Amino acid sequence: MAKRVLIVDDASFMRSMLREIFVEAGYDVVGEATHGVEAVQRYEELRPDLTTMDIVMPYKNGVEATREIVRTHPQAVVVICSALGQEALVLEALEAGAADFVVKPFRGEDVLAMARKVLGEEA
Amino acid sequence: MSRYVGLFVAEAVEHLEALGRDLVTLEQKRSPEMVDSLFRHAHSVKGMAASMGLEPIATLAHRVEDLVEALRKDEGPLDQALVDLLLEATDAMQGQVSAAASGQPPAPSTALLSRLGELVQSRTGRPPAPTRVAQNVLFSVGGPEASPSPPPPPDFPLLDVHMRVLPSSQNPGARAFVLHRKLSALGTVLSVEPSLEEVRAGALPEGRLCIVVAARGGVAQVRQAVAQVPEVELVSVGPRRPVAAEPVAQEAPHPLASEVRSVRVRAELLDDFLELAGELLLATSRLREMGKRLPEAQRPMLEEGVDRLHGLAKDMHGRVMGARMTPLAVVTDQLPRTVRDVARRRGREVDLEVEGAEVELDRSIVDALADPLLHVLRNAIDHGLEDAETRKASGKPQRGRVKVTVRRARDRVMVEVADDGRGMDAEGLSASAVARGVLTAEAAARLPRSELLLLSCLPGVSTAKDVTDISGRGVGMDAVKRAVERVGGMLELESEPGRGTRVTFRLPLTVAVLQLLLVQASGEVLGLPITKVLGVVERDGVEPGPGRPLLRHDAALLPVHGLATLLGFEEREALGVRPFVLMEADKGPVALAVDVLVGQEEVVLKALTRPLDQLPGLAGVTILGSGRPVFILDVPRLLS
Repeated sequence: MAKRVLIVDDASFMRSMLREIFVEAGYDVVGEATHGVEAVQRYEELRPDLTTMDIVMPYKNGVEATREIVRTHPQAVVVICSALGQEALVLEALEAGAADFVVKPFRGEDVLAMARKVLGEEA
Repeated sequence: MSRYVGLFVAEAVEHLEALGRDLVTLEQKRSPEMVDSLFRHAHSVKGMAASMGLEPIATLAHRVEDLVEALRKDEGPLDQALVDLLLEATDAMQGQVSAAASGQPPAPSTALLSRLGELVQSRTGRPPAPTRVAQNVLFSVGGPEASPSPPPPPDFPLLDVHMRVLPSSQNPGARAFVLHRKLSALGTVLSVEPSLEEVRAGALPEGRLCIVVAARGGVAQVRQAVAQVPEVELVSVGPRRPVAAEPVAQEAPHPLASEVRSVRVRAELLDDFLELAGELLLATSRLREMGKRLPEAQRPMLEEGVDRLHGLAKDMHGRVMGARMTPLAVVTDQLPRTVRDVARRRGREVDLEVEGAEVELDRSIVDALADPLLHVLRNAIDHGLEDAETRKASGKPQRGRVKVTVRRARDRVMVEVADDGRGMDAEGLSASAVARGVLTAEAAARLPRSELLLLSCLPGVSTAKDVTDISGRGVGMDAVKRAVERVGGMLELESEPGRGTRVTFRLPLTVAVLQLLLVQASGEVLGLPITKVLGVVERDGVEPGPGRPLLRHDAALLPVHGLATLLGFEEREALGVRPFVLMEADKGPVALAVDVLVGQEEVVLKALTRPLDQLPGLAGVTILGSGRPVFILDVPRLLS
C-alpha cells in the first residue's frame, strides 16, 4: 500500500512541488496544511505515514507543530524542510522530535531518498 | 629517529605557540585552567623533546614546567617579569626547535636556565629538581590521556562507530545530531566526538563523528541504523578497542579511522591534490564534450560513465577543498603575543579583541594573510593608537582598543582590524603623494577620501612621522594591499580623524570550483560567477535615467551597464529584446546588458599570472570543456 503523506508549507508552490515529487514516486499525498495550527489538526484527522514540515510559517511554526504532533503521537514521522541558514531551527526541530530534514532548495531525488530512509523502505 | 623529526617539529611548534598564547592570556586574567593548560604544553614539549633525545629543549621545558608548577600551587604572584621570562624561554625553545628542524643540535640555554632556576627557588624556597632526560625513547604519536568514561552497561557489546557526514550535506551539524539520536535509541551512548555542544557550535571537522555506543543489537543493528540516515556514510564500526591493546580485527577496517583520526600531511601535498582534482574535473568535462560527437546510439553509455566520473571527481575536489579549509585562528592566535610585544615596546596600553577566529578559509588564503594581518595590527598600535596622556586629554579611555573581526558574508570573508586611535591623515597623505610626484594636486583634489587613504599603500607615501623598527615607511601597506589582492581579495580603508581607523580585507572563501554563467558580449564569451548573479531577464529596451539608463525589475530600478562597454569592446547596436544579467555589486544590484546568454558551466578557477593579474576586473581564467579559455569577470571591481 502506498505510504500516505501530509505536506505542510505556507508557500503554495512548495506544496505543489512536493506533491508532484511524492505523487510521481507513487506516494499518496493525503493532505496539505499551510500553517502549524492546521498541520496539527490535519495530522489528527489523517494520521499520515510521513509529514513534511516547513519551519517558518504563520500562527504556529514548524518546530512547535512538530513538538505537538510528536508529543501525542510518538511514532509520527515528521521531516523538516528547511531553508539554508536555518541550521539552529533545524536542530530545535530535531530536538522537538522531527525524524529528519532536507535543506531547500532540494531536488526531488533528495526528498525521496530521505523519505525512503526514514520510512525504512530502504536499508 | 630522523624520520620523526618533521612530526616532532610540527607538534612542538604548536605547543610552543599555544604556550605563548596562554601566557599572554594569563597575564590579562589569571585562571587555574589557563595555568593547567600552560603546564600541559610545557609538559608535552618536555616529553617530546626528551623522546627525541633533544636534551637542551627538554631541560628548558622542564624548568618552565617547574615554574608553572609553582604558579599552580599559588606560590608567588604572576607579574610581568615572570611572564617576560616565560615568554623568553618559549622563544628560546622555538629557536631550538627550528635548529633541530634544520638538523642542527639545539644549543643549551644556560643563562636562561639559571634565571628560571633562581625564580623557581625564590618562589618555592627549594632549588629546582635536576632534570633527567631519557635518551632514544621512541616518540609516540597521539596518546592523549584517555578520560575516564562512564562504565558501560553489562552484556551490550561496546562499539566504536566512525561516521562521516558527506560534504554535500547542507547542514552537517543537524545530520550529526540525527546520527546521535539514532544510535542513542539502540542502547547507551558513552561518548561522542566532537561533543554535541561542539557540533551545535558548528564544529564537525571533515564531517567526522565518532560515537561509542553500547548497543543491544551489535554491529548489524548499528549498520542498519546508520543506513537510515541520509547524507552519511559509515566509515567503520567495530568492538571498542582498549587503549593499549593489540590491534583487533575489525569488521570494516578503515586504515585511518579507528586508531589515528588525523595524520599530518605536507601542505604542498594538499596543493598538488587540489591541482590534480581540478585537472580531473577539466578532463571530465572535455570528455563530455567529445562524447557529443558520437552517434546518438552510443552516447548514453558514455554519458553515464562520464556522469559517474564527474560525480567522483567532484566529490574528490570537494574533499580536498574541505581538507584545505583552515580556521583563521591559525593566524589570529598569534596576534595577542604581537600586540603585547609591540605595546610593551612602545609603552602603550592596548586591549585586543578577536572575534570570529573560527571562520574557515582555504589554507593558501590563510597563509597569505598572516603577514599582512600582523602588519596592519602593528600599524594600528604603532601609529594609530595615541599614548595614554594624549588619549586622556582627548577624552578617550586610557587603554587603546584594537578589534579584529572575522565575518563570513555569502562567499566572502571579511577580516577587519579596527582601532580607536587618532585616525589617518588623508590630507597629509595627499600632500605627501603630490610632493612625491605620484599624482598632481588637481588629481588629488578630485579623489574621494576613501581613495586618498589608499594612497598610504603606494610605496613611500606613508605619513608616519616617527619611523620605528615596528612599522612605518609606507612599504608595509603597499605589501599588504598586494598580498590581499593576490589571493583575490580587496583592501579597504576607512578612517575618521580622532576616532580611529578600520582596515578591511574582503577575501574569497576558497579557490574553488565555480559555477559560471557564460555570456557573450561583442562576440567574446565571458564567465560571470553565479554566486553573484541575482537573475536574468530579457527586456525590450531600458528606461532613461540620470547619467545612465535604468532597468525596471520588480519594484526597483537598476542601473544598466553594457558589458562590452565596461570591457572596452565595441558595444553592438541593441535591437529588440536582449538579455540582462542582474548582478550584485558593491553599491547594490546592477543590470549588465549582454548580447547572448550562452549557458551555465561548472569550471575550475585558474589564477591569472602576470601580467594579466594586474588587470582590474578579471577574477581568473578557466578552460571550458570545449578547450576554450574564458576569462572570469569580477564585476564589482569592473564597475569600481
